[in-house]
Amino acid sequence: MLKRFLADLRKYNYFCWYSAKTDLKAEVANSYLNWVWWILEPLCNMLVYTFVFGSVFGSNQQYYPVFIYSGLLMWNFFSRTVTYSIKCVRMNRDIVTKVYVPKFTLLISNMLLNGIKLAIALCILAAMMLVFQVPLTPMIFVAIFVYLIMFIFAFGCSTILLHFGVFIDDLGYAIAILINMMFFMSGVFNDIATTVAAPFGQILANLNPMAFFISSMRGALLYGIMPDLRVLLDWAIISIALCVVGVRTIYKYENSYVKVV
Amino acid sequence: MADVAVSVKDLCIDYRNLAHISIHQSIMNPNALKKADVVHAVRGISFNVEKGEILGIIGRNGSGKSTLLKAVAGIFQPDSGTIETPGGRVSLMSIGVGFKPEITGRENIMTSGMLLGYTPEYTHNKMQEIIEFSELGDFIDRPVRTYSSGMYSKLTFAITAMLETDILLVDEVLSVGDEHFRKKSFAKMQELILDDNRTVLIVSHDIGTLRKLCTRVMWMHDGLIKEIGETDPVLDRYQEFMQ
Repeated sequence: MLKRFLADLRKYNYFCWYSAKTDLKAEVANSYLNWVWWILEPLCNMLVYTFVFGSVFGSNQQYYPVFIYSGLLMWNFFSRTVTYSIKCVRMNRDIVTKVYVPKFTLLISNMLLNGIKLAIALCILAAMMLVFQVPLTPMIFVAIFVYLIMFIFAFGCSTILLHFGVFIDDLGYAIAILINMMFFMSGVFNDIATTVAAPFGQILANLNPMAFFISSMRGALLYGIMPDLRVLLDWAIISIALCVVGVRTIYKYENSYVKVV
Repeated sequence: MADVAVSVKDLCIDYRNLAHISIHQSIMNPNALKKADVVHAVRGISFNVEKGEILGIIGRNGSGKSTLLKAVAGIFQPDSGTIETPGGRVSLMSIGVGFKPEITGRENIMTSGMLLGYTPEYTHNKMQEIIEFSELGDFIDRPVRTYSSGMYSKLTFAITAMLETDILLVDEVLSVGDEHFRKKSFAKMQELILDDNRTVLIVSHDIGTLRKLCTRVMWMHDGLIKEIGETDPVLDRYQEFMQ
């Protein structure tokens, strides 16, 4: 299976990139402020959260706007990818019913698209870090590593949801609620481990993968704190296992998707 | 005896009528996925197509013709039986190769090429030819969703005709566009089909066209082969049957 997966990745490599690029272009062509939105959206959200949680509730987190913005970027990538995966096959029904394509390549293409948006937003983050004079440490590489594991985790979750999304109509609603719940439990605008009453804070921080990824990435990037490598390794293994299950399920059932959509 | 390009053996394809279910249903009734109504679209057919042959497939609506083509194209998995295509690359020409509505015609050409397994360079070299043949003019750089249905099918035809595959599956696209384009596409079709190296399977209701093009005809009825053989006798009996 791994061999087939790698062969498919190589074979559809061009398609994934090209498709991501053209989708992005189409998105840009259809909106007035076009690509400015990718920066504007998280930036405005950051301002809202900074105002609500920083001024109204009074958070004393260091570099609070950067803190929120960096968390928001990672979260956006994850939630966009997962939300897309559920309707992935249905949205591409024109292609899926006309030609064979490994279904996860459609997902990868969307992840590339989100990745490009993320890359642009990360440039803004870098600028913000300069403005707020966040000291740069070699821990940045750890943050990149955490991002990599998050990508694998997102891919694993999405492949599984892609499969069920084909058959179950209302999965989208349930996942939307779940995502919303997860958002508030992932510590995008607060430090879960310290602000939620003990012992729940610590439990949540380690057992909610997104909370863990976000706080590890942020800790390494902004405050030069080494993440808990043991927990990181556990999540890496779980992420890979999710990918294996997801890709295997897709390979097994993908040719029956056409009969349903 | 020429080489076999497509070999179909005991092919069965079922449609499970499960379609969409809700979370509630899937929890309350875990067997919902298994118990659904089964429609047998193709039930146990075997045939070989030799390299360079032009096989016409006729039959009433719902007799399993398009399903068969989709299976040969690799879009469906057979529920039982095997399909082998030692003849090489397969492409299915039907209404729309698989266009994304939001992106432009030009980008869709590239995407289609990649999905058929060609390198970007190859598709790029064929680009001009495809655009000229499709007669879309300036529309090629507009999103496909703005196309009329005629333009849409013209582009489809141009792509499949120019990105030459070894095995061509044609599903009811012989009459595309206006009178002028129809003549042109028919001529191109003939040129493609008459190439000795290309194997073609055509699904059509147009008896006249099939008579002109095919070397053999297969008549499908209710998912089974009713007759397969010389073009004229099979078509004669089919016409009689349909009266």
